Amino acid sequence: MKKILLMGFVLVSFACSFVYAQDRTISGKVTSTEDGTTLPGVNVVLKGTSTGTVTDVDGNYKLTVPSEGGVLVFSFIGLTSQEVEIGARSVIDVQMAADVTQLSEVVVTALGLEKNPRELGYAVSGVKAEDLVVARESNVISALNGKVTGVTIQQSSGNLGGSSNIIVRGITSLSGNNAPLWVVDGVPINNQQTATGSRITGNRDFSNGAVALNPDDIESINVLKGGAASALYGSRAAAGVIVVTTKKGKAGQGGKPQITVNSSVRFDRLFTRPDYQFEYSGGSFAKYDSSLRTTAFGERIIGQEVSKAITGERVPLQAYEDNVDEYFDTGVSLINNVSLSDANERMDYRLSLTSLNQEGILPNATLDRLTGNFGAGVKHANWIKSRFNIQYTRETSQGTGVAGANDPNIFNLANFVPTTDFRDFRPWIDESGNQINTVNNQDNNPFWVQFENRNEREQDRFIGSYELTITPIENLNVVSRIGLDNWVDERFITNRVGTRGRATGTFDVDILQRRQLNIDIVSTYYKKINEDISLNFLGAFNYNRRVFERDRLFAESLSIPELFSPGNALTTTPTRDESERKLFGVAGQAEISYKDWATLTLTARNDWSSTLPLENNSYFYPSASLAFVFTDAFQISNNILSFGKFRASYAQVGNDTNPYQLDFRFFPVTQATGQYSLNLNFPFDGRLGFAKTNTIPPVTLIPEDQITYEFGTELQFFNGRLGLDVTYFFSENTNQILNVSIPPSTGFAQRTVNVGSIDNEGIEISIDATPVEVGNFRWNTIVNFSHVESTVTELAPGLDRFLQASGFNSVQVVAVPGREFQLFGIPYEREPTTGRIVIDEETGLRVPGAAKNYGSVMPDFTMGFVNNFTYKGFSLSATIDWRQGGLLRSASVEALWDGGLTEETLRNREGTFIDRAGVIVQSDGTVRENDVPVRSAEDFWANLSANSVSESTVFDATFVKLREVGFSYTLPKSVIDKIPFSGVQVGVEGRNLALLYSKVPHIDPEANLFGPGQAGVGFGVERASVPSTRSFGFNVRLTF
Amino acid sequence: MKKIFVYILSLMMLVLPMSCEEALDINTDPQAATSADPNAVLPYVFVQYAARKTTEIGTRITDVPQHFARTFNSPRNGSTTSFLTGNTWNMYYTQVLGNLGLVEADAREAGTGSNNITAIAVIMQALSYYELTVIFEDIPFSESINGQEFPLPEFDDQGTVLRGCVDLLNEAMALIDEFEALGGAGTFNVSSGDLIFGGDMQAWRRFANSLKIRILMLIRNVDASVESDITAAFNQPLIESNAQATLFNYPGDPGQDNAWKQILVDFGTGFNASSEFFGPSPFISDLLTSTNDPRFELFVDTRGGLPPPALDRFPTGSNSVINDNVMRADMPNIWFLPSELNLYRAELIIDGVLSGDADEAYRTGVEQAVTFWGQDINGAQITLTSSQIDTYVNSIPDLSTLSNEDAKEQIYTQQYLESFLRPLLSWTHVRRTGVPALDPPASATISTILKRFTYPPTEAAANPNTPTDVLTDEPMWFENM
Repeated sequence: MKKILLMGFVLVSFACSFVYAQDRTISGKVTSTEDGTTLPGVNVVLKGTSTGTVTDVDGNYKLTVPSEGGVLVFSFIGLTSQEVEIGARSVIDVQMAADVTQLSEVVVTALGLEKNPRELGYAVSGVKAEDLVVARESNVISALNGKVTGVTIQQSSGNLGGSSNIIVRGITSLSGNNAPLWVVDGVPINNQQTATGSRITGNRDFSNGAVALNPDDIESINVLKGGAASALYGSRAAAGVIVVTTKKGKAGQGGKPQITVNSSVRFDRLFTRPDYQFEYSGGSFAKYDSSLRTTAFGERIIGQEVSKAITGERVPLQAYEDNVDEYFDTGVSLINNVSLSDANERMDYRLSLTSLNQEGILPNATLDRLTGNFGAGVKHANWIKSRFNIQYTRETSQGTGVAGANDPNIFNLANFVPTTDFRDFRPWIDESGNQINTVNNQDNNPFWVQFENRNEREQDRFIGSYELTITPIENLNVVSRIGLDNWVDERFITNRVGTRGRATGTFDVDILQRRQLNIDIVSTYYKKINEDISLNFLGAFNYNRRVFERDRLFAESLSIPELFSPGNALTTTPTRDESERKLFGVAGQAEISYKDWATLTLTARNDWSSTLPLENNSYFYPSASLAFVFTDAFQISNNILSFGKFRASYAQVGNDTNPYQLDFRFFPVTQATGQYSLNLNFPFDGRLGFAKTNTIPPVTLIPEDQITYEFGTELQFFNGRLGLDVTYFFSENTNQILNVSIPPSTGFAQRTVNVGSIDNEGIEISIDATPVEVGNFRWNTIVNFSHVESTVTELAPGLDRFLQASGFNSVQVVAVPGREFQLFGIPYEREPTTGRIVIDEETGLRVPGAAKNYGSVMPDFTMGFVNNFTYKGFSLSATIDWRQGGLLRSASVEALWDGGLTEETLRNREGTFIDRAGVIVQSDGTVRENDVPVRSAEDFWANLSANSVSESTVFDATFVKLREVGFSYTLPKSVIDKIPFSGVQVGVEGRNLALLYSKVPHIDPEANLFGPGQAGVGFGVERASVPSTRSFGFNVRLTF
Repeated sequence: MKKIFVYILSLMMLVLPMSCEEALDINTDPQAATSADPNAVLPYVFVQYAARKTTEIGTRITDVPQHFARTFNSPRNGSTTSFLTGNTWNMYYTQVLGNLGLVEADAREAGTGSNNITAIAVIMQALSYYELTVIFEDIPFSESINGQEFPLPEFDDQGTVLRGCVDLLNEAMALIDEFEALGGAGTFNVSSGDLIFGGDMQAWRRFANSLKIRILMLIRNVDASVESDITAAFNQPLIESNAQATLFNYPGDPGQDNAWKQILVDFGTGFNASSEFFGPSPFISDLLTSTNDPRFELFVDTRGGLPPPALDRFPTGSNSVINDNVMRADMPNIWFLPSELNLYRAELIIDGVLSGDADEAYRTGVEQAVTFWGQDINGAQITLTSSQIDTYVNSIPDLSTLSNEDAKEQIYTQQYLESFLRPLLSWTHVRRTGVPALDPPASATISTILKRFTYPPTEAAANPNTPTDVLTDEPMWFENM
């Protein structure tokens, strides 16, 4: 078959060249009117024919045309097309100017299709290479903050290599499938995050998969937000798609190879620190107690002689105000990148090596990442091209901090008692390997847990792809692409013998492997019917296979400390998990364009998924979108409105579920669980144990369904000085595949069913303006506004609340019909007539009420302000990030208050006082102002959160942050010419520089317990998070 | 040219769907089974039950009946957390009863030869429902573990639940009798899965009948009409000797050890004498020392004569602590001792329900209880001599010389001591008999000692039939207050 094809191509090629063999040749050079540089890749076509060529890297072209007459059309996306009469000339040089009425570049859309933005009937937000490296971020997701509309980004912690969560256009799934699909150069990659331990028990925030993407290697990131944009990706795109295009090889000036060296050094400090009090000692009920790690309700510090915490020596009592600096280090990051790239008309080549070496703010925390990226493309002949790309990333980290609870390694901002001298924690180990210098017998020395207990991770990631493009006949392209993502993620977590809470020592080897194979065959055919109408057809086939394997060995009771061999442990618990899923998809698209100002696109796709019942595993979904450039259609052309486009789309997308949800299963059990991990292991006394599943499998299961509508407009005013992009969208997500909680008294905890729906409605506005452009000075400002309302419209019959994520002490994130995701917890009891807090007449303390919904955890809107100022070689850019609304329950603040560690707890320390916030309900039902004093301040603060009441630590998480600032200077050409570089840029950069506004006291309002691994809800609850950082650094970029 | 391409495409379209079907048939979990043998499910049930029975309803609540001065995260002050209530509830319903329901259904289908499996499943169900109701009072019983028919189970009142448990135990004993009549022919061998009795169905029958008496004693507190059932039960085979005690034994290796030991190993030095985690309540300390009870030295380590910590306090270096003798790795989880029955017998004789010598039954019960801890329990680090035991048993008051009221107080006090380290049982005794009279700790937010757990949010959120929580000092039906 292949031979026939090949012969066919050869024949066609012969035929073509034969027909025109006797004609004349025209040549020339295409340059830019702006700076005179040569323009490669410009289309040169003989008007009215299909004869044409493109300019080479030097802007030269050569074209054979009939002996008489004819007009050449020069076109390039983003430039004004030109038509030139050939006449008798044989050399035609052309200068081309930027077309302000067109959006600047091609956009990479679904299946790697490069599209002219004019023809898109849906919104796409993009970020270009230079915007990703203004102030480098080790997690590429965080670099998108404020720069695109329609996404909500949340960084979980200040851990090195910590995770970031991104949600596109709100929550589309109640079952947690809210992570967008990441596609790199046409190949889907894994962005999962798997927690070691549970989110609640000793959470290590190990980063999500997308961190393997190196910002220095990225050419552009486009976010496909709506259903129509992502419809060709099928079911996996229901939560949006992030299309990453890596840099291709380019030639330097004069066609020479280009070598770029970039070096950054950055310093990290705590972003926020609590306002600690230094007036009262560790202790409780006004008594000094040196053994408390979290409580400072002791004596007023007046220099009285006491036994010092840890050492026990007799010293005058004093506060040690530098404890935070004594414990947290200044983090240092070195980011070095070198790239070599080259290209000519037949090939392009780019090799890039990046090393990231970080030392974190936590003692002994380091991260090293090496990324090698190699990509090359070859144009073998006019009809056949191939390209491959290989990326290898190796990352090792240690000293990751532990958040949450129930783990002896947790040490956080609520552990800084003012009268404990943190210098005394050093040393933390004696010569025999025993833990020393602790405040009591139960708690660990904070340096011991960081230096002696290991929280290590080693990742090897290989992402490779090969793409073959064949053009068997004119206007027909067949692209075959195979991509592989192989990710080995090894975690190694230990508790050294002598760790309080794990006294006999443990180790945990947790090896996760994710493999993804993706094959796409995409053929496109272009047909111009006449001057006005052109057609574009696409047919595609997709095969996707994803495998997950996890092997874990947990060992306890080590005989020889620090020997991590299973034979050295008295008990070992191996566990294994594996899953495989496959998906086949067939897709088609038809696109009709009229006069370049109206484009209607229709798509259809059918998927077959292995995770659904065999007889019900096929699902079909269509989409339609329309792009209409009304300024062209109505020939509006003036200086005020220079470009106007309207777009509309409709799409229906399906979604499958996780593997193995259909059978009733009995699992071999490795552990019977008890409180505080007091577990029993199987085999127990030589017996195996099997237990039934806790989830009743579905009787029938159908795919989830999503329908989206989107309308938008793009307008440009004053010749492109002001741009406005507005999108309204609505989506309806039904037939959600949920594991619905059922009464445990049925013998099961959950049932898998198709129920529930969630609607999303939102608006996105992007303004791009250049308010000032005077001489060499230019100020460009971009404002991105996104609002999305994700309303749960329906749950299972009889179910008025569906758990999304469970925090601590009865705090939950729940889905409630008619509302956005709610924070649910126990408030104070309110007196109904006055609405005020009810006070206990006996104690003077607040009384707990019945659990309720506090409000939405999702932000009302997010805004980003990106400003760029350029003057000659100077460039200053700054991004401000504003998130409005959404609730955060902070267990850290609760712990700080509960322990009397912060300034506000200083009030009323001496004697009793009355809580004026409340009223007393008297036995006859009447209400009086509270007049019952609280016994002590300690009682008051402790009672604030007693009985699982969370109300006092539920905050509005609104914040405004100065997210990044970059200032750079590029050496002018006059200087460059005298030195052996073709470009030199130096800069200073800063990230997370300032918290301009926040209502959450003491901590970063962005902190979160639930990372991207948690059922899609990266919001709402914080506990003992590793504090986030503020960074400042320098950058040098050299181009040879 | 175009034709060739169309041909290729259509060929692809034809071939793909055919291979698709096969390629997509991979949705079977390679790490799970679709059915399981009772010899594999029963060990899970027993071990999981023991794991929670020694933690949430073990280490956490020994200060509720005030055997211990204080434990970690205890509900003694009146507040029960969702972890405590949820873990307890889920263990009984989803881990124990849910699995037992499947085991029972399979065994019933297999017929009389599998009656031993059915009986064990039914007895364990009765034990679970009985324990659930003394923790929560009203619970789903008649509509539970049947999600198909009752997706939202109704809650039954405590009287119904307790009587239902008696019915379950009667049924189990009948099943065993039917099974034993087969004489072993065509019977299922459950010796490896039965971690309690190794398949000895007569032992299960004795346990079932003994448990039935424990439950009937609660009903009797409200409804004297069950006294004839009690009399009948005392004439059926019972746990008679410490050798017949119902125990869950731990091999004692790490991961196979009692939670009391685990908590000391994981969070302390491995020994309570040096970790100072648990101290005896002043109440039980006085009770034991004032009567020269030899169990004192078995239960308490005075570390050279130190006093117990105050109620509601953890021990410090200047207090006595709970003896490591009863916090060993191989300390069994005790389900039923013969002494409990003899103490009931003494109580019932005094009340005229049973005939016989109350003092003799009482003395036998006390002697069995002391002998269990001092001699018969496996792996004891401290043992008592027979003369020590005799001296004590001879020293306790002769019930015949006491008024009925005083005599019963003596018996109730011994029931309280007999249930040491079994907080659920001693808590139930205290609530049934009111002896000893315990005051709540000073820091308590309730007016009496804890009387119940609140319902866990997991059930309350999913089941609208869940009763509204009452205060945790609200007495239960069986207390008859």
